[in-house]
Amino acid sequence: MLDFERGEKIFFSFNGQEIEAYPTETIAAALHAAGVSKLGESPELHRPRGLFCAIGNCSSCFMVVDGKPNMRVCVINVKPGMCVEEQKGKGELNY
Amino acid sequence: MKTIEILVIGGGPAGLCAAISAASLGAKVLIVERDEIPGGQLVKQTHKFFGSEKQYAGDRGIHIGQMLVENAQNDPNIEIWHASTVLSIYEDGVVTVEHEEKHTKVKPEKIIVATGAAENFLGFPGNDMPGVYGAGAVQTLMNVAGVMPAKRVLMIGAGNIGLIVAYQLKQAGVEVAAVIRRSPVIDGYLVHASKIQRAAIPILTRHTILHAYGDGKVEGAVIVKVGEDKKPIPGQEIDIKCDAICLAVGLSPLTELCWQAGCKMAYISELSGHVPIVDDNLETTVKGIYCAGDVSGVEEASSAMVEGRLAGVSAALSLGYGKGAAIGLQKEAQKELRQLRDGPMGNHIRKGLAKMEHNRL
Repeated sequence: MLDFERGEKIFFSFNGQEIEAYPTETIAAALHAAGVSKLGESPELHRPRGLFCAIGNCSSCFMVVDGKPNMRVCVINVKPGMCVEEQKGKGELNY
Repeated sequence: MKTIEILVIGGGPAGLCAAISAASLGAKVLIVERDEIPGGQLVKQTHKFFGSEKQYAGDRGIHIGQMLVENAQNDPNIEIWHASTVLSIYEDGVVTVEHEEKHTKVKPEKIIVATGAAENFLGFPGNDMPGVYGAGAVQTLMNVAGVMPAKRVLMIGAGNIGLIVAYQLKQAGVEVAAVIRRSPVIDGYLVHASKIQRAAIPILTRHTILHAYGDGKVEGAVIVKVGEDKKPIPGQEIDIKCDAICLAVGLSPLTELCWQAGCKMAYISELSGHVPIVDDNLETTVKGIYCAGDVSGVEEASSAMVEGRLAGVSAALSLGYGKGAAIGLQKEAQKELRQLRDGPMGNHIRKGLAKMEHNRL
Protein backbone atom coordinates (compact mmCIF):
# COMPACT_ATOMS: atom_id res chain seq x y z
CA MET A 1 0.00 0.00 0.00
CA LEU A 2 2.87 2.38 0.69
CA ASP A 3 5.50 3.42 -1.81
CA PHE A 4 8.79 4.66 -0.50
CA GLU A 5 10.69 7.25 -2.51
CA ARG A 6 14.08 6.55 -1.07
CA GLY A 7 16.32 8.38 -3.52
CA GLU A 8 19.93 7.46 -4.30
CA LYS A 9 21.78 5.06 -2.06
CA ILE A 10 24.39 6.71 0.18
CA PHE A 11 26.95 5.51 2.73
CA PHE A 12 27.79 6.60 6.26
CA SER A 13 29.99 5.22 8.98
CA PHE A 14 28.80 3.55 12.18
CA ASN A 15 31.53 2.77 14.73
CA GLY A 16 33.97 2.89 11.82
CA GLN A 17 32.01 0.43 9.70
CA GLU A 18 30.44 1.48 6.38
CA ILE A 19 26.62 1.32 6.34
CA GLU A 20 24.25 1.68 3.40
CA ALA A 21 21.37 4.15 3.71
CA TYR A 22 19.00 6.48 1.92
CA PRO A 23 19.04 10.26 2.43
CA THR A 24 15.31 10.25 3.23
CA GLU A 25 15.90 8.09 6.33
CA THR A 26 16.71 9.10 9.86
CA ILE A 27 19.97 7.76 11.29
CA ALA A 28 17.92 5.54 13.62
CA ALA A 29 15.96 4.05 10.71
CA ALA A 30 19.10 3.43 8.65
CA LEU A 31 20.75 1.63 11.59
CA HIS A 32 17.64 -0.49 12.15
CA ALA A 33 17.60 -1.40 8.47
CA ALA A 34 21.19 -2.57 8.92
CA GLY A 35 20.19 -4.66 11.93
CA VAL A 36 21.67 -2.34 14.56
CA SER A 37 19.37 -1.76 17.52
CA LYS A 38 21.93 -0.89 20.22
CA LEU A 39 22.65 2.84 19.86
CA GLY A 40 24.56 3.52 23.06
CA GLU A 41 25.06 2.69 26.71
CA SER A 42 23.55 4.15 29.86
CA PRO A 43 26.01 6.49 31.59
CA GLU A 44 26.17 4.78 35.00
CA LEU A 45 25.47 1.06 34.61
CA HIS A 46 26.52 0.77 30.96
CA ARG A 47 23.35 -1.02 29.95
CA PRO A 48 22.57 -1.03 26.22
CA ARG A 49 20.18 1.63 24.95
CA GLY A 50 17.97 1.63 21.86
CA LEU A 51 15.28 3.64 20.13
CA PHE A 52 12.09 4.29 22.09
CA CYS A 53 9.92 7.24 21.00
CA ALA A 54 11.13 8.16 17.48
CA ILE A 55 9.79 11.72 17.91
CA GLY A 56 12.84 13.42 19.42
CA ASN A 57 11.44 13.43 22.92
CA CYS A 58 12.77 10.66 25.16
CA SER A 59 16.59 10.90 24.90
CA SER A 60 17.02 7.11 24.59
CA CYS A 61 18.65 7.35 21.14
CA PHE A 62 21.48 9.77 21.98
CA MET A 63 24.52 9.08 19.78
CA VAL A 64 27.73 10.85 18.79
CA VAL A 65 27.28 12.31 15.30
CA ASP A 66 30.29 13.89 13.57
CA GLY A 67 31.92 14.27 16.98
CA LYS A 68 28.90 15.90 18.63
CA PRO A 69 27.35 13.96 21.55
CA ASN A 70 23.69 13.73 22.65
CA MET A 71 22.30 13.89 19.12
CA ARG A 72 18.73 12.60 18.79
CA VAL A 73 19.24 10.24 15.87
CA CYS A 74 15.51 9.51 15.57
CA VAL A 75 14.90 12.99 14.11
CA ILE A 76 18.16 13.56 12.21
CA ASN A 77 18.40 12.42 8.63
CA VAL A 78 21.50 10.54 7.54
CA LYS A 79 23.94 12.33 5.20
CA PRO A 80 26.67 10.88 2.97
CA GLY A 81 29.93 10.34 4.84
CA MET A 82 28.38 11.08 8.24
CA CYS A 83 30.30 9.60 11.17
CA VAL A 84 27.97 8.00 13.73
CA GLU A 85 29.21 6.37 16.93
CA GLU A 86 27.65 4.66 19.93
CA GLN A 87 27.53 7.02 22.87
CA LYS A 88 29.03 5.79 26.11
CA GLY A 89 28.61 8.08 29.10
CA LYS A 90 27.15 11.55 29.16
CA GLY A 91 29.05 12.87 26.16
CA GLU A 92 31.77 15.49 26.08
CA LEU A 93 32.03 18.72 24.17
CA ASN A 94 35.40 19.33 22.55
CA TYR A 95 35.90 23.02 21.83
CA MET B 1 16.28 38.63 17.11
CA LYS B 2 13.50 37.56 14.76
CA THR B 3 10.09 39.15 15.20
CA ILE B 4 6.88 37.49 14.04
CA GLU B 5 3.17 38.00 14.63
CA ILE B 6 2.29 34.40 15.54
CA LEU B 7 4.68 31.66 16.56
CA VAL B 8 3.27 28.14 16.29
CA ILE B 9 5.24 25.58 18.29
CA GLY B 10 4.83 22.16 16.68
CA GLY B 11 4.06 21.23 13.07
CA GLY B 12 1.58 18.43 13.67
CA PRO B 13 -2.13 18.46 12.77
CA ALA B 14 -2.99 21.13 15.38
CA GLY B 15 -0.02 23.37 14.59
CA LEU B 16 -0.44 23.19 10.81
CA CYS B 17 -4.17 23.95 11.02
CA ALA B 18 -3.50 26.82 13.44
CA ALA B 19 -0.94 28.33 11.07
CA ILE B 20 -3.10 27.89 7.97
CA SER B 21 -6.20 29.45 9.56
CA ALA B 22 -4.29 32.40 11.07
CA ALA B 23 -2.44 32.99 7.79
CA SER B 24 -5.67 32.89 5.80
CA LEU B 25 -6.89 35.86 7.84
CA GLY B 26 -3.69 37.73 7.00
CA ALA B 27 -1.41 37.05 9.97
CA LYS B 28 2.28 36.31 9.50
CA VAL B 29 3.13 32.95 11.05
CA LEU B 30 6.29 31.01 11.91
CA ILE B 31 5.99 27.27 12.58
CA VAL B 32 8.83 25.63 14.52
CA GLU B 33 8.98 21.84 14.17
CA ARG B 34 11.62 19.64 15.79
CA ASP B 35 11.41 16.80 13.30
CA GLU B 36 13.00 16.94 9.84
CA ILE B 37 9.54 16.70 8.30
CA PRO B 38 6.39 18.48 9.50
CA GLY B 39 3.07 16.62 9.74
CA GLY B 40 3.44 15.23 13.24
CA GLN B 41 2.09 11.75 13.72
CA LEU B 42 -0.15 12.02 10.65
CA VAL B 43 2.82 11.08 8.45
CA LYS B 44 2.65 7.47 9.62
CA GLN B 45 -1.10 6.98 10.02
CA THR B 46 -2.15 4.78 7.13
CA HIS B 47 -5.60 4.04 8.56
CA LYS B 48 -8.77 5.89 7.57
CA PHE B 49 -10.17 8.59 9.83
CA PHE B 50 -13.61 8.75 11.39
CA GLY B 51 -15.73 11.83 11.99
CA SER B 52 -17.37 14.01 9.40
CA GLU B 53 -16.23 15.32 6.05
CA LYS B 54 -14.99 18.60 7.53
CA GLN B 55 -12.37 16.65 9.48
CA TYR B 56 -11.42 14.65 6.37
CA ALA B 57 -13.18 11.44 7.53
CA GLY B 58 -12.67 8.49 5.18
CA ASP B 59 -9.26 9.83 4.19
CA ARG B 60 -6.03 8.33 5.53
CA GLY B 61 -3.96 10.29 8.06
CA ILE B 62 -0.91 10.20 5.83
CA HIS B 63 -2.77 11.97 2.98
CA ILE B 64 -4.29 14.54 5.32
CA GLY B 65 -0.79 15.25 6.63
CA GLN B 66 0.68 15.69 3.14
CA MET B 67 -2.16 18.04 2.18
CA LEU B 68 -1.76 20.20 5.31
CA VAL B 69 2.02 20.36 4.85
CA GLU B 70 1.64 21.44 1.21
CA ASN B 71 -0.96 24.07 2.10
CA ALA B 72 1.32 25.49 4.77
CA GLN B 73 4.42 25.38 2.56
CA ASN B 74 2.62 27.17 -0.30
CA ASP B 75 1.23 29.92 1.92
CA PRO B 76 3.30 33.12 1.58
CA ASN B 77 2.25 34.14 5.12
CA ILE B 78 3.76 30.98 6.65
CA GLU B 79 7.41 30.25 7.28
CA ILE B 80 8.44 26.79 8.54
CA TRP B 81 11.60 26.02 10.47
CA HIS B 82 12.11 22.27 10.56
CA ALA B 83 14.68 20.30 12.58
CA SER B 84 14.37 23.17 15.07
CA THR B 85 13.48 22.85 18.74
CA VAL B 86 11.90 25.50 20.96
CA LEU B 87 13.93 25.57 24.16
CA SER B 88 12.14 28.12 26.33
CA ILE B 89 9.59 30.89 26.69
CA TYR B 90 10.88 33.77 28.81
CA GLU B 91 8.92 36.21 30.98
CA ASP B 92 9.47 39.06 28.52
CA GLY B 93 7.91 36.98 25.73
CA VAL B 94 11.21 36.03 24.08
CA VAL B 95 11.31 32.46 22.81
CA THR B 96 14.62 30.68 22.26
CA VAL B 97 15.00 28.10 19.53
CA GLU B 98 17.74 25.73 18.46
CA HIS B 99 17.72 26.46 14.74
CA GLU B 100 20.38 25.54 12.17
CA GLU B 101 22.65 24.55 15.05
CA LYS B 102 22.40 28.01 16.61
CA HIS B 103 20.72 29.37 19.73
CA THR B 104 18.24 31.76 18.13
CA LYS B 105 15.82 34.27 19.68
CA VAL B 106 12.30 34.89 18.41
CA LYS B 107 9.93 37.62 19.66
CA PRO B 108 6.36 36.72 18.70
CA GLU B 109 3.26 38.80 19.43
CA LYS B 110 1.19 35.64 20.03
CA ILE B 111 2.18 32.03 20.67
CA ILE B 112 0.22 28.88 19.85
CA VAL B 113 1.60 25.86 21.71
CA ALA B 114 0.83 22.71 19.70
CA THR B 115 3.52 20.41 21.07
CA GLY B 116 1.34 17.30 21.17
CA ALA B 117 1.96 14.34 23.43
CA ALA B 118 4.48 11.56 24.03
CA GLU B 119 3.95 7.87 24.62
CA ASN B 120 3.88 6.65 28.19
CA PHE B 121 6.52 4.30 29.50
CA LEU B 122 5.80 1.25 31.63
CA GLY B 123 7.80 -0.01 34.60
CA PHE B 124 9.06 -3.60 34.41
CA PRO B 125 12.49 -5.24 34.68
CA GLY B 126 14.26 -5.13 31.33
CA ASN B 127 12.22 -2.19 30.00
CA ASP B 128 15.40 -0.30 29.11
CA MET B 129 16.69 -2.87 26.61
CA PRO B 130 16.91 -2.16 22.88
CA GLY B 131 13.78 -3.76 21.45
CA VAL B 132 11.34 -2.05 23.82
CA TYR B 133 9.63 0.59 21.71
CA GLY B 134 6.73 2.96 21.90
CA ALA B 135 4.10 1.60 19.51
CA GLY B 136 4.28 4.89 17.62
CA ALA B 137 8.02 4.47 17.12
CA VAL B 138 7.48 1.11 15.47
CA GLN B 139 4.80 2.67 13.29
CA THR B 140 7.29 5.37 12.27
CA LEU B 141 10.01 2.85 11.37
CA MET B 142 7.52 0.79 9.40
CA ASN B 143 5.36 3.39 7.64
CA VAL B 144 7.71 6.35 7.26
CA ALA B 145 11.07 4.65 6.77
CA GLY B 146 9.81 1.34 5.36
CA VAL B 147 12.05 -0.52 7.78
CA MET B 148 10.95 -3.77 9.46
CA PRO B 149 11.40 -3.19 13.17
CA ALA B 150 11.29 -6.85 14.23
CA LYS B 151 10.23 -10.36 13.31
CA ARG B 152 7.90 -11.12 16.22
CA VAL B 153 6.30 -8.48 18.40
CA LEU B 154 4.46 -8.43 21.72
CA MET B 155 2.00 -5.52 21.94
CA ILE B 156 1.17 -4.14 25.37
CA GLY B 157 -2.12 -2.21 25.37
CA ALA B 158 -5.37 -2.66 23.47
CA GLY B 159 -6.40 0.94 22.92
CA ASN B 160 -6.67 2.26 19.37
CA ILE B 161 -2.92 2.74 18.96
CA GLY B 162 -2.13 -0.80 20.16
CA LEU B 163 -4.77 -2.36 17.92
CA ILE B 164 -3.96 -0.30 14.81
CA VAL B 165 -0.20 -0.78 15.05
CA ALA B 166 -0.60 -4.53 15.72
CA TYR B 167 -2.71 -4.82 12.58
CA GLN B 168 -0.27 -2.78 10.50
CA LEU B 169 2.63 -4.94 11.72
CA LYS B 170 0.75 -8.02 10.59
CA GLN B 171 0.02 -6.37 7.20
CA ALA B 172 3.73 -5.63 6.85
CA GLY B 173 4.57 -9.28 7.44
CA VAL B 174 5.66 -9.06 11.08
CA GLU B 175 4.29 -11.73 13.39
CA VAL B 176 2.34 -10.38 16.37
CA ALA B 177 2.62 -12.87 19.24
CA ALA B 178 -0.23 -11.30 21.19
CA VAL B 179 -1.88 -8.05 22.20
CA ILE B 180 -2.15 -7.96 25.97
CA ARG B 181 -4.11 -5.68 28.25
CA ARG B 182 -4.38 -5.70 32.05
CA SER B 183 -8.03 -4.70 32.31
CA PRO B 184 -10.87 -7.07 31.32
CA VAL B 185 -12.11 -4.84 28.48
CA ILE B 186 -10.62 -3.76 25.15
CA ASP B 187 -10.80 0.03 25.10
CA GLY B 188 -10.10 0.62 21.39
CA TYR B 189 -12.82 0.89 18.74
CA LEU B 190 -14.57 -2.39 17.91
CA VAL B 191 -13.73 -2.01 14.20
CA HIS B 192 -9.99 -2.17 15.01
CA ALA B 193 -10.37 -5.03 17.52
CA SER B 194 -12.35 -7.08 14.99
CA LYS B 195 -9.57 -6.72 12.41
CA ILE B 196 -7.08 -8.10 14.96
CA GLN B 197 -9.32 -11.04 15.70
CA ARG B 198 -9.87 -11.77 12.01
CA ALA B 199 -6.10 -11.72 11.57
CA ALA B 200 -5.93 -14.46 14.24
CA ILE B 201 -3.84 -12.37 16.63
CA PRO B 202 -4.73 -13.31 20.22
CA ILE B 203 -5.96 -10.45 22.43
CA LEU B 204 -5.24 -11.46 26.01
CA THR B 205 -7.21 -9.29 28.41
CA ARG B 206 -6.41 -9.53 32.16
CA HIS B 207 -2.72 -10.05 31.31
CA THR B 208 0.28 -7.93 32.17
CA ILE B 209 4.03 -8.06 31.53
CA LEU B 210 6.26 -9.31 34.36
CA HIS B 211 9.65 -8.76 32.76
CA ALA B 212 11.55 -8.71 29.48
CA TYR B 213 14.69 -10.76 28.97
CA GLY B 214 17.52 -11.03 26.48
CA ASP B 215 21.27 -10.70 26.05
CA GLY B 216 21.76 -7.02 25.21
CA LYS B 217 18.42 -6.80 23.40
CA VAL B 218 14.91 -8.18 23.74
CA GLU B 219 14.61 -11.93 23.14
CA GLY B 220 11.36 -12.51 24.97
CA ALA B 221 9.00 -11.56 27.76
CA VAL B 222 7.14 -13.25 30.56
CA ILE B 223 3.51 -12.21 30.84
CA VAL B 224 1.03 -13.28 33.49
CA LYS B 225 -2.70 -13.43 34.06
CA VAL B 226 -4.04 -11.02 36.68
CA GLY B 227 -6.95 -11.47 39.09
CA GLU B 228 -9.83 -9.13 39.93
CA ASP B 229 -7.39 -7.15 42.10
CA LYS B 230 -5.13 -6.68 39.01
CA LYS B 231 -2.38 -8.65 40.81
CA PRO B 232 -0.52 -11.48 39.01
CA ILE B 233 -1.86 -14.99 39.63
CA PRO B 234 1.07 -17.32 40.49
CA GLY B 235 1.43 -20.25 38.09
CA GLN B 236 -0.30 -18.34 35.27
CA GLU B 237 2.90 -17.05 33.63
CA ILE B 238 3.40 -17.39 29.88
CA ASP B 239 6.82 -17.14 28.20
CA ILE B 240 6.59 -15.28 24.90
CA LYS B 241 9.51 -15.32 22.47
CA CYS B 242 9.73 -12.00 20.65
CA ASP B 243 12.38 -9.57 19.43
CA ALA B 244 10.36 -6.44 20.14
CA ILE B 245 7.94 -5.27 22.81
CA CYS B 246 5.67 -2.38 21.86
CA LEU B 247 4.20 -0.16 24.53
CA ALA B 248 0.80 1.31 23.68
CA VAL B 249 -0.17 2.36 27.17
CA GLY B 250 -1.38 5.87 26.59
CA LEU B 251 0.07 9.29 25.91
CA SER B 252 0.91 12.26 28.10
CA PRO B 253 0.64 15.91 27.02
CA LEU B 254 4.00 17.62 26.35
CA THR B 255 3.41 20.65 28.56
CA GLU B 256 6.94 21.72 29.58
CA LEU B 257 6.69 25.06 27.74
CA CYS B 258 3.26 25.80 29.28
CA TRP B 259 4.64 25.23 32.78
CA GLN B 260 7.62 27.41 31.99
CA ALA B 261 5.48 30.22 30.58
CA GLY B 262 3.50 30.27 33.84
CA CYS B 263 0.18 28.99 32.46
CA LYS B 264 -2.23 27.78 35.12
CA MET B 265 -2.13 23.97 35.03
CA ALA B 266 -4.37 21.25 36.45
CA TYR B 267 -4.17 17.47 36.68
CA ILE B 268 -7.15 16.08 34.76
CA SER B 269 -6.92 12.31 34.31
CA GLU B 270 -9.55 12.26 31.52
CA LEU B 271 -7.30 14.59 29.50
CA SER B 272 -4.29 12.30 30.19
CA GLY B 273 -2.36 14.33 32.76
CA HIS B 274 -1.38 17.87 33.67
CA VAL B 275 -2.85 20.28 31.14
CA PRO B 276 -2.95 24.06 30.72
CA ILE B 277 -6.33 25.62 31.56
CA VAL B 278 -7.74 27.24 28.41
CA ASP B 279 -10.87 29.29 27.68
CA ASP B 280 -13.47 28.69 24.94
CA ASN B 281 -11.09 30.17 22.34
CA LEU B 282 -8.16 28.06 23.63
CA GLU B 283 -6.27 30.95 25.23
CA THR B 284 -4.36 29.95 28.37
CA THR B 285 -4.30 32.01 31.57
CA VAL B 286 -1.21 33.77 30.16
CA LYS B 287 -2.58 36.36 27.73
CA GLY B 288 -1.40 35.80 24.16
CA ILE B 289 -0.49 32.13 24.67
CA TYR B 290 -2.91 29.65 23.11
CA CYS B 291 -2.91 25.84 23.09
CA ALA B 292 -4.24 23.39 20.51
CA GLY B 293 -4.21 19.62 20.14
CA ASP B 294 -2.96 16.95 22.51
CA VAL B 295 -1.00 19.40 24.69
CA SER B 296 -4.23 20.52 26.37
CA GLY B 297 -5.77 17.01 26.50
CA VAL B 298 -5.00 13.85 24.54
CA GLU B 299 -7.66 13.24 21.89
CA GLU B 300 -7.70 12.27 18.23
CA ALA B 301 -6.10 14.06 15.29
CA SER B 302 -9.56 15.13 14.08
CA SER B 303 -10.20 17.29 17.14
CA ALA B 304 -6.56 18.47 17.15
CA MET B 305 -7.09 19.89 13.65
CA VAL B 306 -10.28 21.73 14.65
CA GLU B 307 -8.63 23.04 17.83
CA GLY B 308 -5.74 24.25 15.69
CA ARG B 309 -8.15 26.12 13.44
CA LEU B 310 -9.87 27.67 16.49
CA ALA B 311 -6.60 28.76 18.14
CA GLY B 312 -5.30 30.16 14.83
CA VAL B 313 -8.42 32.23 14.22
CA SER B 314 -8.46 33.44 17.84
CA ALA B 315 -4.80 34.51 17.78
CA ALA B 316 -5.26 36.28 14.44
CA LEU B 317 -8.39 38.06 15.67
CA SER B 318 -6.57 39.30 18.77
CA LEU B 319 -4.06 40.93 16.40
CA GLY B 320 -6.90 42.66 14.58
CA TYR B 321 -7.17 40.29 11.59
CA GLY B 322 -10.40 38.84 10.22
CA LYS B 323 -12.79 41.23 11.92
CA GLY B 324 -16.21 40.17 10.71
CA ALA B 325 -15.34 36.64 9.64
CA ALA B 326 -13.38 35.47 12.68
CA ILE B 327 -16.20 35.27 15.22
CA GLY B 328 -18.27 33.10 12.87
CA LEU B 329 -15.25 30.84 12.30
CA GLN B 330 -14.69 30.49 16.05
CA LYS B 331 -18.34 29.52 16.60
CA GLU B 332 -18.18 27.03 13.74
CA ALA B 333 -15.06 25.34 15.17
CA GLN B 334 -16.54 25.21 18.66
CA LYS B 335 -19.63 23.52 17.21
CA GLU B 336 -17.51 20.96 15.33
CA LEU B 337 -15.62 20.15 18.52
CA ARG B 338 -18.89 19.56 20.37
CA GLN B 339 -20.01 17.22 17.58
CA LEU B 340 -16.71 15.27 17.61
CA ARG B 341 -16.98 14.82 21.38
CA ASP B 342 -20.60 13.75 21.23
CA GLY B 343 -21.61 10.13 21.87
CA PRO B 344 -20.26 7.47 24.23
CA MET B 345 -16.63 7.58 22.95
CA GLY B 346 -16.50 11.27 23.90
CA ASN B 347 -17.67 10.65 27.48
CA HIS B 348 -14.31 10.93 29.17
CA ILE B 349 -13.28 14.00 27.15
CA ARG B 350 -16.52 15.78 28.07
CA LYS B 351 -15.90 14.87 31.70
CA GLY B 352 -12.34 16.20 31.45
CA LEU B 353 -13.46 19.44 29.84
CA ALA B 354 -16.07 19.94 32.58
CA LYS B 355 -13.23 19.68 35.10
CA MET B 356 -11.23 22.18 33.04
CA GLU B 357 -14.14 24.63 33.12
CA HIS B 358 -14.33 24.24 36.88
CA ASN B 359 -10.61 25.06 37.11
CA ARG B 360 -11.09 28.32 35.19
CA LEU B 361 -13.01 29.82 38.12
